[in-house]
Amino acid sequence: MSWFRITLHRSAIGLPERTRGVLAALGLRRRSQTVFHPVSQDFAGMIMKVKELVRVQEVDAPKTDAEVKAERQFAPGFWVEKRGKEVMARRGGGGRDMN
Amino acid sequence: MFGAFRFTNPLSGGLLWKIPWRLSKFQKARHRKRLRAVDDVVATVDAALAKNGETIATLERWKAEMPTEAEMLPKDKYTMFDRKAKRYRKGIHRLPKWTRVSQRLNPPGY
Repeated sequence: MSWFRITLHRSAIGLPERTRGVLAALGLRRRSQTVFHPVSQDFAGMIMKVKELVRVQEVDAPKTDAEVKAERQFAPGFWVEKRGKEVMARRGGGGRDMN
Repeated sequence: MFGAFRFTNPLSGGLLWKIPWRLSKFQKARHRKRLRAVDDVVATVDAALAKNGETIATLERWKAEMPTEAEMLPKDKYTMFDRKAKRYRKGIHRLPKWTRVSQRLNPPGY
């Protein structure tokens, strides 16, 4: 089963109530928001109604909001090799509690 | 003559619309990009439904009637029919919400 990955790209401000209702039914409340819906005739019809406002991809599995957000995050530029707390514990537990 | 109350066109009474007569090349490029984006959405939905052997009426109608961006004539991309305009054409940017609506077809012969 495949899914539509739908992202609201253009705002519906000033567009007819019907159009905004379709966005609400798709669960799109703000720009750049992404939702996943199964590929079906119902959702295809809704996408056709707002095709000028959204970007659509077909994907194999839906993602959670956290996973969608993780796609947008940059690499932090550093990585933790060892935690200070563990190092101090190995030295004999004499040090201050570093977190 | 000079100063805040000089006679410029917008001040000399009446309403002066400042919608430019034609689109700039950059506006036209962005407009083509938007047309292609809509074509992409339709193609994606069509391909996804076709895998299940399904289709919907609006999709079939769009494919039958609407030209894609590549198929459209420049005349239809950047202007639209208007019965009140000289030579029956006006810039597409005069259509309200023109960046968010699909206006691709015009009456045959115009």
